Amino acid sequence: MSQAAAQAYLNTRVSMMSTRLFQPGQLAELAQLSLPELAERYGLAALLDEQVTTRAKGRAVEQGLIRLLLSELTILARPMSTTERALVMAWARKYALFNLKTLIRGKLYDLDQKEIRENLYDLPPNVRLSHQELFRAENVLELLRQLEQGPHALIARQAREAYEQRGEPFALEAAIDQRYYAGLARLVRQFHDANLQPVRHLVGTLLDREDIQCLVRFRFSYRLSPSETFYQLVPSSRLLHRERLLELVNLETLEQVIEALPPPLNALLAGCGNLIEVQQHLHHYMTAEARRILGQSSSGVARALAYLILRESQLRSLFSLTQGHLLELPVQFVEIAVGLTDPICPVGTMAKAA
Amino acid sequence: MKHVRLLVLTEDLPRASLTLAETESFHPDPRAPVETEFVNVPGRRYRDLFQQARSRLDKIAKLAPLPQDPRIDTVRVVGAEELDALNQWLGGLWAEAFQYEEQLRHLDEEDRSLKEQESALANFANLNIDLGMLRTKTRFLDFYIGSVPRENVRQLEGAVGLAKHILFNYMITGDHAHVIIVGQPGGAEKAQLSSVLTAAGFQHLPIPQGLDSEPQELRRQIEERRKALIEERGTLRRRIGAWAEGNAERRLDAERTLILAEPFVTLDPSIRSAGHLACLCGWVPARDLAKLEARLRQALALPFQMDARKPRSDERALVPTVATKSRLLEPFALLVKQYGIPQYGEIDPTPLFAVTFLLMFGMMFGDVGHGAVIALAAWWARRRIPHFYLFGVFAGISSMCFGLLFGSVFGYEEILPALWMSPLHDPILMLKVALGWGIAFIIVACLLGIYNRLAIGNTVGALFEHHGAVNLLFYLAFLWGGYRLAQVGSFGTLPALLVIGSLFALAVFQWRHLQAPTGEKVLVVLIETLDTVIVYLSNTLSFLRVSAFSLNHVALSLAVFTLADMMGAFGHVVTVILGNVFVLVLEGGIVMIQVMRLQYYEGFSRYFSGDGHAFTPLQLRRRPAPL
Repeated sequence: MSQAAAQAYLNTRVSMMSTRLFQPGQLAELAQLSLPELAERYGLAALLDEQVTTRAKGRAVEQGLIRLLLSELTILARPMSTTERALVMAWARKYALFNLKTLIRGKLYDLDQKEIRENLYDLPPNVRLSHQELFRAENVLELLRQLEQGPHALIARQAREAYEQRGEPFALEAAIDQRYYAGLARLVRQFHDANLQPVRHLVGTLLDREDIQCLVRFRFSYRLSPSETFYQLVPSSRLLHRERLLELVNLETLEQVIEALPPPLNALLAGCGNLIEVQQHLHHYMTAEARRILGQSSSGVARALAYLILRESQLRSLFSLTQGHLLELPVQFVEIAVGLTDPICPVGTMAKAA
Repeated sequence: MKHVRLLVLTEDLPRASLTLAETESFHPDPRAPVETEFVNVPGRRYRDLFQQARSRLDKIAKLAPLPQDPRIDTVRVVGAEELDALNQWLGGLWAEAFQYEEQLRHLDEEDRSLKEQESALANFANLNIDLGMLRTKTRFLDFYIGSVPRENVRQLEGAVGLAKHILFNYMITGDHAHVIIVGQPGGAEKAQLSSVLTAAGFQHLPIPQGLDSEPQELRRQIEERRKALIEERGTLRRRIGAWAEGNAERRLDAERTLILAEPFVTLDPSIRSAGHLACLCGWVPARDLAKLEARLRQALALPFQMDARKPRSDERALVPTVATKSRLLEPFALLVKQYGIPQYGEIDPTPLFAVTFLLMFGMMFGDVGHGAVIALAAWWARRRIPHFYLFGVFAGISSMCFGLLFGSVFGYEEILPALWMSPLHDPILMLKVALGWGIAFIIVACLLGIYNRLAIGNTVGALFEHHGAVNLLFYLAFLWGGYRLAQVGSFGTLPALLVIGSLFALAVFQWRHLQAPTGEKVLVVLIETLDTVIVYLSNTLSFLRVSAFSLNHVALSLAVFTLADMMGAFGHVVTVILGNVFVLVLEGGIVMIQVMRLQYYEGFSRYFSGDGHAFTPLQLRRRPAPL
């Protein structure tokens, strides 16, 4: 298939798939449905019927939705070039890294094998880690040693050294996340054609969002120093480039950070007093940017990635609705979780800016 | 093949699994039984224990291989308690093995660090500063010298800057960058920096004593440390050897226990239970059924029930196929397997493949000398390729037989009198022979295809689908007409009517089975009908390559001799030898590919679906000791 034909095919595929995305107001409508209605509409009934416990039902639904997302990703990746496919696969590899973190925590806290296995996502071969080998590891050190033999050698080596020196999972997980986002940024630099600008814009937005969230969390919740915080961030090619991050991590309060952010982020986050509000505003911002690229860009790979980001977010909302029903949570809590209502958190229960 | 359903009491499951494995005639069927009561999957704990124990033993064997092949002298049931105890013992042993592995890794890391020191030493010598100062921290400056992964340098530079330090990258080796970090000593910055350096994977590089004095002396110290490392590694290896020897016998026992426990675990996905009753299903060759039942009666202490039935037509695709067991046909079966495995009920194409392959190869590459070289080379390599060498031996013998018919020895046609003739003496006759061979090959392939479809009850397919009876009728009529055209100058009314009639029947069949708008149906039917004519014509002509390559072989030899005649005596010999090597390797390889192509494309595509699956019975795995 020629490049032009592959782009046309990919764009058509993305356009067809994007009809599956929620229309404005649809999420609010779904929030009103009962669990059986929701399950019937999204083909989750069989998954719910097969499981006995509430926890197992929740896991099955989550697993089913992830499988759906990754099956769509596999279809979209087929006509892509090597560079394009590498980018979308790298994005999806976060699910493999979730599994890796689960394995690490499981080994670290000496959890039962069955419990660890139940918390692992069943992923397609092109995304997953070699679970069997890793699963058989008897401790974190062995797990990381095994990981060092594969394509995640750099993450593993760094993580092992961090673990050997500190012996706690924070540094290890932070290293995994940092490598993941640095990997995405590196893959964007491999583009040299018309896809470069839209892909850089989309991944840049993703990194901007992640950087602000990490900065707020590390500086003001975990009280890490500017240098420790900066090291965990990944400079973005869009708004939060290296020099700007160096300035931001040196600021002492959340208000100062928000004021120092470049437009439109400063206006967007103005008035946010805590991490939850920041996360929510950034989520809306990311969604709007992804929708804009999906609707306006001509780059097949950028549109495909934008679609996947949106689809993932919506499937998460669907999972939250199902989980809310399964756990019999009050409706207002569920609406806060899916972003239909603004959170009203009592003072002292959230990480407030200093 | 029969479908067998075995009902046993759950207590007897390990014994039943072991007995089934001993008979090596039970291929598990993982489908759930029809009876909805069988919902439980027993033996999950057993499987978990087995898998962990297996993994531990395999990991230990990587460090300390088992000294010998674990022979199974007595077959016995391994209970869950025994497996649990074994798993625990292996857990302790693996912990010890892992410690040894870690010690080896640390020695490797120290060795790597020494290499880096050596590189750094060479680099430090060129720097115009007193490096002796770097070793001792001062009141005003703190130094960190070491290496970090190359891609972390830029980020680390920013981070150390925030901690009021500066970073100087003085050398890059491979994926690592060697850096010096300088800043104010003490205070909060030091703790921050330490945390950042850890996160960045910073590895300290010790500044060698006397750096500012004699470089030769430093190199000697590094060399001494390297020698000491080799000694330490040797000592550690000896300790590991003694440790491995101390537990070798018990590990061998563990291996035997796991081999005996494995059948139950392998069978696990095919077992369902309800209360104390367990059901397991599988496929058993009809000839082994009585033997299997007798063996179960002998082995199981508690009552059981075994039912056997013929495979239903809807489960034909699930029935496994028993592979060809002939020693002589084994290499040809391997080549057939590259295309696929015969479906249950289909004719196994291996014998036909072997005969036609050898005939075509011999005819295309007929030479006594070249054939002998191929046969001898294959015989010489029999230990390296024990399952495949006979293929080369047979191909060589076939080439020698045709060499005798053609009177060719390493291209010389004067040494041996031809039993028939040299291909170049009558190329037209050779082409006729190849054409006749091709026609016979295609007709046999179509007949086999028709038989295979009839065997699975697909009568309509046998008549109308690709290479079915109507296709064969068209082909025969087409050949008849073609022959008449060549002999008497006209195609003939009856052959023409048969050709048109068979093509019409195929077109109607196509039309009725297409689900598409009328325009598309017209287009598809027209193209498919035209394709039938082209395919049969081109496939028949495709066999002309059989004679073309026999002519090619003679022509290439002539070319070699012509070149050789242009040389002196020594040059002549060298050219003939090199020319023959060229013919043997290049032409031999091409002929091999062409014969495979004829087999796969003109033969298998007509009569062999290749979508079956192999009969892999449950058996005891007597694994050889890992190398």
